[in-house]
Amino acid sequence: MNWPKLDLRGTGAPLIMESTSLLALAALLVLVQLPHVLYLPIWISAFGIALIGLRVYARQTPNHVRWRYIFSTPAITVIAVVGALLIRAHYGYFLGRDPSVAFLFILVSLKFAEYRRSADATLLLGLSCILLLTQYFYSQSILSALVTIPAVFALGHALAVLRDPSHASAKRPQLKLIGTLLLQGLPIALLLFVLFPRLPGPLWTLPDDSMGKTGLSDSMRPGDIGNLSLSDEVAFRVEFNGAPPAAEDRYWRGPVFARFDGYTWSPEPKTVEAYPAASIPSEVEYSVMLQPHKQNWLFALDQAVSIPNVDGSITPLGNTSVFATLTTSGQLLTREPVTRVLHYTQRSAVSSRFQSPLKPSNTELQVPDNMPRTRALAKELRAKSSSDSDYARRVLARFNQMNYRYTLQPELLGDRPVDEFMFDSLQGFCEHYSSAFTLMMRAAGIPARVVTGYLGGEMNEDYMIVRQSDAHAWTEVYLDSAWQRFDPTTAVAPSRVENGVRGALPEGDVSGFRHSASFAWTRNIGLAWDSINHNWQRMIVNYNNRSQEELFEKMGLPSLALWQITALILVIAGLWCLWMLKSPLQRQKRAASPADKVWLQMEKQLRSKGIVRDHSETPQAFINRACQLLTDGGEELRCIGRTLLSARFAAMPDESAAMKAREAGEQLKRLRLEFAKPAIN
Amino acid sequence: MSSVAPLPQATSPSAAQVLDALDTVLLGKREQSTLALACILARGHLLIEDVPGVGKTTLARAFGQLLGLPWTRVQFTNDLLPADVVGVSIFDSKSQEFRFQPGPVFTSLLLADEINRAPAKAQSALLEAMEERQVTVDGVTRELPNPFFVIATQNPGEQRGVFGLPESQLDRFLVGISLGYPALEQERELLAKGDTRSAVDGLQPLLDHSTLLTWMNAIDDVHMADSVLQYLHELIIASRIDGNGLSPRAALGLVRASRAYAFVNEQDHVLPDDVKAVFSSVAGHRLTGSVRAGTTAANRITDSVTAP
Repeated sequence: MNWPKLDLRGTGAPLIMESTSLLALAALLVLVQLPHVLYLPIWISAFGIALIGLRVYARQTPNHVRWRYIFSTPAITVIAVVGALLIRAHYGYFLGRDPSVAFLFILVSLKFAEYRRSADATLLLGLSCILLLTQYFYSQSILSALVTIPAVFALGHALAVLRDPSHASAKRPQLKLIGTLLLQGLPIALLLFVLFPRLPGPLWTLPDDSMGKTGLSDSMRPGDIGNLSLSDEVAFRVEFNGAPPAAEDRYWRGPVFARFDGYTWSPEPKTVEAYPAASIPSEVEYSVMLQPHKQNWLFALDQAVSIPNVDGSITPLGNTSVFATLTTSGQLLTREPVTRVLHYTQRSAVSSRFQSPLKPSNTELQVPDNMPRTRALAKELRAKSSSDSDYARRVLARFNQMNYRYTLQPELLGDRPVDEFMFDSLQGFCEHYSSAFTLMMRAAGIPARVVTGYLGGEMNEDYMIVRQSDAHAWTEVYLDSAWQRFDPTTAVAPSRVENGVRGALPEGDVSGFRHSASFAWTRNIGLAWDSINHNWQRMIVNYNNRSQEELFEKMGLPSLALWQITALILVIAGLWCLWMLKSPLQRQKRAASPADKVWLQMEKQLRSKGIVRDHSETPQAFINRACQLLTDGGEELRCIGRTLLSARFAAMPDESAAMKAREAGEQLKRLRLEFAKPAIN
Repeated sequence: MSSVAPLPQATSPSAAQVLDALDTVLLGKREQSTLALACILARGHLLIEDVPGVGKTTLARAFGQLLGLPWTRVQFTNDLLPADVVGVSIFDSKSQEFRFQPGPVFTSLLLADEINRAPAKAQSALLEAMEERQVTVDGVTRELPNPFFVIATQNPGEQRGVFGLPESQLDRFLVGISLGYPALEQERELLAKGDTRSAVDGLQPLLDHSTLLTWMNAIDDVHMADSVLQYLHELIIASRIDGNGLSPRAALGLVRASRAYAFVNEQDHVLPDDVKAVFSSVAGHRLTGSVRAGTTAANRITDSVTAP
């Protein structure tokens, strides 16, 4: 079989180019690629960075045939295709965020390997900017912004070097140039950040393939929340419109579980949207910045009386929101999983009683078979009690009086977890107590369910931090035709509400925490850092079209519709183009050298004396004419003109030309006085 | 002028001296002399166009004397043959072989008088010599001396017995000047002095061969700033706006001529004024075929372009 002959050597031009620009670009690309190493498969990072290293290595013998083969266009194409196939194989799909970023990563490296002409460098600069931005797909925290700063400096450096590769050796002017470039960019970036039109909501939904689910899960087994309690991670931050509620009212309602199979709690599969709640006094308004947890629920203080909107506004109950719903079990659910930091405003009526329009379902009475001893105990206790609420009090009293212990490290339970907990081990965390209490109620024929969420929150300056360690589970019991909150954990460890988990746990358990509360200063640093993060989140990441409108309103600017903004930008761009096209001369003047500037100054000065230079009049001729016309100061003018002409047209370094121009400029200033006199006379 | 060009030797003459010497035989034509000298230093050929009797030949001869170059003169007539210019191979009966008898073109300064009185064939014989600085006769190519210039004079087109030079040949003349009638005072002076022929013959050479070559090489070192080059380019572009404009060869010639003009003015850099000064003489004859008509056209162009 005859393969068509492919002349690889012919396709690859020599790889000769400025070493300085090559190195500057290599540094830029590596700095741009480094943050991605955290998110991309290791082989892609290694492959991409190795390609860059190879190309830098090849610069020593750029004409070697080997390199011409390796970096020829067909070879590069083959590597790109192979890379694409490997990425497809790795992820299982290609059209998605992560494979695309990975492919861009490889392509940038390949483009660099192929780099031959200065046009390639311009393209690479653009590509590296895009690649740099893609890392914000993964994280928008302060740290990820800080990580990009070296790359931004490298970008400035590459721009400076590429502008004039042959003069890259002078460090000081180059640093100055980079500094100027970046500083000039800052106000533009700031202006664009504040003024550039923001779209309501993201342009595309980011697929949720990179982050694991954090926080509460959609089912509860004994031990789940206990593990969560070890995490100092922030679940959400809250800013209150007014005073924050008291510690015992800080029950942040999350997923509600009604089904129990003997081991695991799970929610009712069907959720029903709630209707206007009874008007309850003492409403609290607050805004929540929820960290992404990849689940559908939102957190609100018991009980939510509004539904949040995506733009931060509030929908009063009774109206539907496209963004979230409130179920009859009091849960706030979003329609899409929360994949980015979500900012919503919410109103709650602080209460431990919860009126539901629906009667409790059978699920909320269901008791599994693997707890005969608990059932028997329930029956016995109920018989002793005068009423349902008396029964509930007796059960709580049992938790309180018997030797139950609140601990993060309970004994492992076997086939009958509820019985074993109630009668044998007598130790557990909040999920054990709420689970057992709920089942005790149900066994006595009283509807009950487990509610998970967070209890507590720590005030930091003007906002509250709720951490994963505040995760909690409690019970709601249907008494007197309303759901009432019972927290059996408080019966065991009353300090849980006031002092949080750490205060309530026995000392041995606390050692599991990363930060010990005894070191006040680490704690303070932690809180200060959280405050910075919070402000970053609030002011930078959450700056959206709504905040923009508010800002415009405050500044007295009219708020424009998107089409108006688009039209405005088009008009400005059009005017700019016209201006650029119509006035090449003005452009020349703007880019004038110091000598040209002084020259223009001189022309202006002479014009004010009535000596106007015709546009086609050459400089020397103009000076000669002016000298003839002047009655006084002609010689000085001739001298200045001579200096200026040589500064403008003679061969000399820029510095000496600038010096001559300055000199002439000063003479010109003195000259003004001298021939001002005859003009007045 | 801002600074004096570093001259090769302290004792060597300056361009101003050459021009002063020319002034003694060609009264009141300083500008034309300067252009002519610049043209020669830029290794260009010079075309002088005017009515008979205003000093065209005098200028050419004076150059020959002052630059110390061997020069010959060919009077172009309507029966001139190419061989009369380049030379001919004649049979030497003594040595029984053809011997090349070099024509008047084998010299450093060829004064081609009334070039447009000769028919096209004789004119084009000069073509190869002017462009290639070599001559081919009977298949043998012969180098011409270095330097080699042609100073051609032509009568205005409206005169009788004139064959207009083809454009291709006009393009080979770097500079075309017109002398015009002398000013009243100078003419009176001329009349008082009488015949200039003897004055020309009395001129002493100011330059030797090597100085001339050094000057020619120094032209390349005259600095032309970007803004001046830009101005020059704009002039070239402006010439093309209506119809046939200046060729790239003309543009290159303009660069050289501007540099040489600056050099003659004893500058080490080109001013926009230098470009403008040489522009009409470089462009004029190329644009219209006639120096005098061309000057008007060239001035229109310089007036339309903004000077830096």
